[in-house]
Amino acid sequence: MERLESHRYCSKLGGLRPVLQLAIVAMLGASAHAETVAKSTVPKGELQAKIAYCENCHGVSAQGFHGYYPIPRLAGQQPDYVKNQLEAFIEHRRTNNIMFNVSHVLSPAMVEALTESFQQLNPKPLTTPAPEDLIASGRKIYEEGLPKSDVPPCAGCHGPEAKGDGQFPRLAGQLSDYVVNKLANWTKERGQNPEKPDTSAIMQPIAHSLNSQQIKAVAAYLNQLQ
Amino acid sequence: MQLALLAVMVSVLDARGAERSSRGHGDVQAKLAYCEDCHGPSGQGFHGYFPIPRLAGQQTEYLKNQLEAFVEHRRTNNVMFNVAHSLSPTMISALAADFRTLNPPPLGGDAKHLGSTGEKIFQNGVPEANVAACAACHGPQAQGSGEIPRLAGQLSDYVFNKLINWSKERGQIPSKPDISAVMSPVAHSLTKPQVEAVAAYLSHLK
Repeated sequence: MERLESHRYCSKLGGLRPVLQLAIVAMLGASAHAETVAKSTVPKGELQAKIAYCENCHGVSAQGFHGYYPIPRLAGQQPDYVKNQLEAFIEHRRTNNIMFNVSHVLSPAMVEALTESFQQLNPKPLTTPAPEDLIASGRKIYEEGLPKSDVPPCAGCHGPEAKGDGQFPRLAGQLSDYVVNKLANWTKERGQNPEKPDTSAIMQPIAHSLNSQQIKAVAAYLNQLQ
Repeated sequence: MQLALLAVMVSVLDARGAERSSRGHGDVQAKLAYCEDCHGPSGQGFHGYFPIPRLAGQQTEYLKNQLEAFVEHRRTNNVMFNVAHSLSPTMISALAADFRTLNPPPLGGDAKHLGSTGEKIFQNGVPEANVAACAACHGPQAQGSGEIPRLAGQLSDYVFNKLINWSKERGQIPSKPDISAVMSPVAHSLTKPQVEAVAAYLSHLK
């Protein structure tokens, strides 16, 4: 339960129905540490080819890429988070046709090997220029939250350096337009199966309470974090 | 008789000029006519000795990048090298902006390979073969974005040729790598039938 205590702010799930809160708390507390399947169980050539394939869209060293859509940085991402998202794509709890197709051909061993590999990557952020004052106000929101709007500090779950932890994703160096898109469209894309609620529900009240200027500010701040 | 013929010729040229007057002045008009000589009326593409690509509706950043690549011999094409290196930056911007506005119907043509395979590959990629979904970068309607080209309405034999010959024509200076490298793994992993299918699909897109 150590994880739960360190995420006091996260347990402020006030806006959610009690049964949903319980479900989420249970999921967080029981976060399974999947057996680390050694990378060597996936043939090296196969793994390298698959990584190259991911990087085709996700950019050199998975730094992210501005395709037709902003395609997110995977470098340095929390393995548990990546695994959860791949599962969510497969089960259509998270809507993305391209990622559904990508994910459902991956074996569990391949997923394990990929997530370990992505975590090791550390390219510089793919930055979009942003005004200094926007970044500064984004930092303030990230570190202090918006108490008047019931928005907890992002740092409480995502960490002081936005590196994430376990199921909570790293945000440091993420593409700013990607962050903006995701926060603005949270409920349209995530938790799409009401009968199978998932941890994406935590972000729903937060995404809802932030206005578009605040989202832009936080996104700009995160984009330039190493 | 000769005078009448001359009068007709002048009026035809005049009409062409008038049609173009809304699309830039004097020398830009002349340059556009020159491009369209090979690239087809309204830049729709043309089946010359080689398939000459559609430029209509093309992303301006992509066009500019290709012209630079031709000039620097990073992209191999002797005809285009000659065309490109005499263009001033202002002319390039004007041409690119003009082509972007053109919207003739696709030249079409390849019905033989048309089926649902091309569309499936374009939208979903071929995950088992590690081929990324074209739509992720080129957009669901193949409109492109910024430095990523529009593919909608492109000549199918041009698309086929380019994909088959990708590494022979693009990124020719290893010490000056460019964004064409993104397409190398895709071009490499697609089989010829897959390339034909995608090319056929694209050639009919508006």
